Amino acid sequence: MMHLLICILINYLLVMVAMAFFTLLERKVLGYIQIRKGPNKVSLMGLPQPFADVIKLFTKEVSFPSSSNLYPFIFSPMMGLALALLFWSLYPYSSPLFFPMYGALLFLCISSLNVYATLIAGWASNSKYALLGAIRSIAQTISYEVSMALILLSALIILLSFNLILMTSSQWSSISLLLPPLFMIWFITTLAETNRTPFDLSEGESELVSGFNVEFSAGSFALIFMAEYTNILTMSLFTSVFFFGMIPLGIFTDIPLVLKTMFFAFLFIWVRGTLPRMRYDKLMNLAWKSFLPLSLSMMILSTSLIIII
Amino acid sequence: MAALRLYSVGKAAHTVLNHAARPVAIAASRTFWKQVSPPDPSYEWRDMTDKAANTIFILEICKGLGITLSMLFKEPATLNYPFEKGPLSPRFRGEHCLRRYPSGEERCIACKLCEAICPAQAITIEAEPRADGSRRTTRYDIDMTKCIFCGFCQEACPVDAIVEGPNFEYSTETHEELLYNKEKLLDNGDRWEPEIAANLQADYLYR
Amino acid sequence: MTTSFYPVILATVIPPMVFAIAWILSNRPIPSMNKLSPYECGFDPKNNARLPFSLRFFLLAVLFLVFDIEIVLLMPIPLSLFLNPMSTLLETTISIIILMLGLIHEWNEGSLDWSS
Repeated sequence: MMHLLICILINYLLVMVAMAFFTLLERKVLGYIQIRKGPNKVSLMGLPQPFADVIKLFTKEVSFPSSSNLYPFIFSPMMGLALALLFWSLYPYSSPLFFPMYGALLFLCISSLNVYATLIAGWASNSKYALLGAIRSIAQTISYEVSMALILLSALIILLSFNLILMTSSQWSSISLLLPPLFMIWFITTLAETNRTPFDLSEGESELVSGFNVEFSAGSFALIFMAEYTNILTMSLFTSVFFFGMIPLGIFTDIPLVLKTMFFAFLFIWVRGTLPRMRYDKLMNLAWKSFLPLSLSMMILSTSLIIII
Repeated sequence: MAALRLYSVGKAAHTVLNHAARPVAIAASRTFWKQVSPPDPSYEWRDMTDKAANTIFILEICKGLGITLSMLFKEPATLNYPFEKGPLSPRFRGEHCLRRYPSGEERCIACKLCEAICPAQAITIEAEPRADGSRRTTRYDIDMTKCIFCGFCQEACPVDAIVEGPNFEYSTETHEELLYNKEKLLDNGDRWEPEIAANLQADYLYR
Repeated sequence: MTTSFYPVILATVIPPMVFAIAWILSNRPIPSMNKLSPYECGFDPKNNARLPFSLRFFLLAVLFLVFDIEIVLLMPIPLSLFLNPMSTLLETTISIIILMLGLIHEWNEGSLDWSS
């Protein structure tokens, strides 16, 4: 029992470290895309920058706005991080701790719960900007969730399984090669799900200051951002599990899996460095009028495809 | 029919006349037009498939991603500031200095032109004759927190006494340290004299 | 309690611990009226922020609920494809056509038009 707990703890802590260095990677890559250097002052080439950031954020002054609802206000960032960490109990590496039969279902459940963290955070801060940002973010997330579930279901129909570990250890086919448009929609949907740049309307600096997290400071703010970046890593992990199956290599399966995950995480940053923000009505039209019909028809296609095969 | 032909002849004549008269015409005549709005989409099968492929495979976004990726490998334009500094113009207006003659005598003759012209009213001067009969300042204060660095004082000065030197790194921790008095300004002048003299020399043609 | 709850337990324990560390390390604020009031770009908040908001978002949530329930019904397809593929294909096609018709109806009604 104890060693199991320790294993899970190590898993979670390493995820948090990975997330910390992912923020550094983002700042560096964005910097170099804009022909400047990223953070390079802290110690050796700025490598400990994330830890400096953490120390700074944690020693900042905590303030709870007087009009906010205190308990939900404290609770929501913690809930966000808890959900983001919970994804990683599904991490299908070659020597997993658990063998959940319905890992993909659990993935969908947790990712739909993620909305609540934003909802509570925006509502509890009792500020107009926060409320507007939260409402936008929720509308966007739930719109894209419909098509995300459908796309994932089309992929699962071809894989004929909900078991993530089975997928990484025995899957010889790659959905992204079989149905490239499906993969493209999936990636765009994950961008929208994690509120990343072409779709980061919840932030909307130009009109909402900072969206649903205006009122948060110090530790709570750090928790919100940890959750956000952990979600990005999670999404890139599951993208590579569901859509980029490769020839299993026994105990070496992990290496290509990690490399693929890193590539998708990099793609998130790369897209952020390239594309401007979308207009809100176009975003909604994209979800409801383009992705939803397409993913519905993709489901019929993949069902008939698997029967033909 | 005849009328039509007549009309068409007339039209041709009109164009010919127009072209002939153009070199002497006052108002430019419009005998041609140019479409500035994007052309109507072509409904050729080939063009339509091209466009569809562009949309489905998000080619334009891929091109944009390629551009950002190429930028990733470019040399960054960052100046590693405290260790390397950018070039400064000889006309750069930085921290104020009061200069001296090579003999050590201060240049300022207390004409108060700088005090008069200062738009922010940052300069305060008091003056009285010295024992040798020359008119000098007894007090020359610049409130650096008021100063807007317009450079009017150095342009007004008839003897090049007050100048804005090349120094821009003089931040302090308190407000009081930025209320410069005469000693501080003269001290600045002594410290930055070589640079100031070089700058004035470099710019003398335009002064 | 089974071992499969351990990740849930740890995931609920770690964030409060992180928050507690932040709480211990952080500077104590000097409370002031301006610091504790909701942020509104320098203005004093006049009335409650919980305004009645655009109905469109509410309609969107209802639409989302409908489609999400349909997705829940579609979830067992990958497993039932093992058992009897042909009838699953038939049922999938029928239910997706119904969903599609529903979507077209909503589209026609104009509830998908965000800016009108």
